Amino acid sequence: MNLEKKTSQPDFQLERPMAPKSSQIKEFWLVFSNNRLAIGGMIIFILFFCSALLGLFLTSGPDPIFDPAQIRLQEKLRPPLAKANLDTLRPEEVPRMGIYFFGTDDLGRDVFARMLQGAWVSLTVGFVAVGIAILIGIFMGGIAGYFGQHYLGAVSIDTLIMRIVDIMLCFPSFFLILTVVALLPASIYNIMIVIGLTSWMGTTRFVRAEFLSLREQDFVVAARALGVNNFRIIFRHMMPNAIAPVLVSATIGIATAILTEAGLSFLGFGVPPPHATWGNILSDGKRFIFDAPWLTFIPGIAILIVVLSFNLFGEGLRDSLNPKLRQRR
Amino acid sequence: MANKTDLISVNKLKVNFRNNTEIARAVDGVSYTVRREETVCLVGESGCGKTVSALSILGLIDSPPGEIVSGEILFAGKNLLKLGEQELQRIRGNHISMVFQEPLTSLNPVFTIGDQITEAIRIHKVIAPDELYERCIQLLKDVGITAPQERFNDYPHQLSGGQRQRVMIAMALACDPELMIADEPTTALDVTVQAQILQLLKSLQRSRSMSVLYITHDLGVVANIADRVYVMYAGIIVEQAYTYQLFHHPRHPYTQGLLASLPNLSKRGQRLYSIPGTVPNPAHKPPGCPFHPRCPFAIDNCRIQCPEMCNYGNEHLARCPVLYEKNPDI
Repeated sequence: MNLEKKTSQPDFQLERPMAPKSSQIKEFWLVFSNNRLAIGGMIIFILFFCSALLGLFLTSGPDPIFDPAQIRLQEKLRPPLAKANLDTLRPEEVPRMGIYFFGTDDLGRDVFARMLQGAWVSLTVGFVAVGIAILIGIFMGGIAGYFGQHYLGAVSIDTLIMRIVDIMLCFPSFFLILTVVALLPASIYNIMIVIGLTSWMGTTRFVRAEFLSLREQDFVVAARALGVNNFRIIFRHMMPNAIAPVLVSATIGIATAILTEAGLSFLGFGVPPPHATWGNILSDGKRFIFDAPWLTFIPGIAILIVVLSFNLFGEGLRDSLNPKLRQRR
Repeated sequence: MANKTDLISVNKLKVNFRNNTEIARAVDGVSYTVRREETVCLVGESGCGKTVSALSILGLIDSPPGEIVSGEILFAGKNLLKLGEQELQRIRGNHISMVFQEPLTSLNPVFTIGDQITEAIRIHKVIAPDELYERCIQLLKDVGITAPQERFNDYPHQLSGGQRQRVMIAMALACDPELMIADEPTTALDVTVQAQILQLLKSLQRSRSMSVLYITHDLGVVANIADRVYVMYAGIIVEQAYTYQLFHHPRHPYTQGLLASLPNLSKRGQRLYSIPGTVPNPAHKPPGCPFHPRCPFAIDNCRIQCPEMCNYGNEHLARCPVLYEKNPDI
C-alpha cells in the first residue's frame, strides 16, 4: 500500500475516468425523452400554461383582443368556426378575424375568448390550491413521521396529527367546500384557499409513510452524527427522498383542484358570473346540450386533456427525477 | 503513550432499551477512555453493546425505546450526557464524527457526494463557496478518490462500495474532528478494499493527529490498527489492554476463546475452535458473570457475583478472578 505516499505528493497525477460524463440535466432529459407519454403530457402542459398566460393578456384590459364579455344577442349559439354576420354587428362587436373559433353561447359571447379567460382561472386555482395543500401536507406529514414517537401530554404527535387527518377525511370535502364558499364572499382566492385547506390529507399520509421508513435509514443517522439539526434533516435530507409520491399526488391534485373548481362553478358557487371559467361555461352550456353540443364538449374535453396531461407529466417526472428509479431503465 | 491526556472518557455508562414487557440492558456499566492521537478498538460479538455505547457518545440513542440510565461521558471536560440538543449538534461532526457500517445506505441517494461533503463543513463553519469547493476536493484527494473534480457531482449510486466508504470518511473528516468513531467501517467491504480503508484510516489518524474509536468484531483488524483494545461482552468490558499484551497474554476466558477461534495456518486441517453457546439475550442476562454459562473455568461463585476487574499491571485489566488467582503475574 502506498496510499500515504500518494496523498503526500501534491502533484500526483490522478487518473481520469474513461467514460465521458454527462451533466445532470442531460441525464434527466435522456431518461425523460424516452417516455413518449410524458413528453406528450409535457407538451400539452406547456401549451396549457402558455395559453393560460396569453389568455390573461388577450382577454383583460380596457380593449381586449378577445373580449369574453361582449354580448351579441343576434349571434347566439353559433357553431364553432362560424363566420360572424357582419351586417348585424356594430364594428366593435365583431370578433377578431371575423370568426368564432369555438362558436358562441346563448348570449352570443365568444366561447374561444371565454375559454382563454377560464384557462387562467383553472391554472391558478390548480397551482395555488395544490401549493397550499402540499405545504401543509409536507409539514404535517414530516412532523408526524419524524417526531411521531414524542408525546404531547397523553397522545403521541403521530396519533394527534393522523387523527386530525382522519377527521378531515371524514368530511365529505366537496360539501365542506360548498358550505364554506356559501358563507364566504364569492371570490377566486377564497376558492383556492378552501380547496387547498381541504385536500392536504393525502399528501400528509404519503409523506408520513415515506418518513417512517426513511428515518430508520442509515443516512439519517449519519446526518445526525454530522450535527445536522432536525429541521434541516426533515426538509433537506428526507424530503427529497419522499418527494416522488408527493409529486405524483400533486399533479393529480392539480387535476382534482381544476375539477373541483369546475364542479363548484357548475353548481354556481364558483367564481362570480361575469368572469368565465371552464366550469361555468360547461354549466351554462348544459341547457343547450342538444342544440349546441360544443358548449359542453369544448370545456369538457379541455378539462379532460389538461387533467390527463398533468397525470402523464407527473409520472414521467417521477421516473426520471429519482436516481433510484433511473437505474432500472 | 501512557502520559497522553484523555480526550474522551466514558464512565459507568448504562443504556437500557425498554418495550412494554421487558428491559434490555444493552450497555451495563461500561467505562473506557480514548486518549489524544490514539486508536482504540472496541471488540466484541454482535449485540454486545459496542454500537450502542458509541451512539450514546453522540447522543444518537432514540428515546424511547432507548434510555441512558446512568453514567457520564466526559469530552474536553464537559459531560456530553448533560448537554442540550443544540450544544450536542455543535459537537457532532465538528469535534466528534462518525463513520458508519454500511456505506451503501449511509449516503443520501438524492444528493451528489460533493453536496454532502460540503454540507458537513457548511453546518459548522462559515466559509466562502470557492474555498469550500477547494477544501472538498482536497478532502476527496486525501481519502484517495481519483479524479475528485469529476467525482464531485456524482451521485452515491455511481460509486463503488469502497469509494462510498471513502466519501463517508471524507465527510467525517470535513471539520477536522478530534475524535472519529468508526463503527465497523470495513464490514461491508471485500478484503482488499478493507485493507486499503484501514491503511487510509491509519495514515489519516497520524497525519491529522486525531483519535479514533474503532468498533469491530474482527480481531485481524484490531491487530492491524489498534493501540489499545477494550473487549466487550454482554454490555460490559471484560478486558482492556495494549494490543500487544492482549494478543500475547489474553487474561479473560472470553478473549482467549476469541483468539482461539481465529483461523490460522498452523491449525490447517483441524476443526476450528468456537466458543460454545451464544451471547445472552440482553433482556435475560444470567446472574453473576455474564460469561459463566460459556466459560470453561467457571466456578460456583461466578454464578452469584459479577466479578471486578483484576489488575495485571501496565493498564492490563481483566474481569476474571479465577484466572487471576491461577496466574497473577505478568
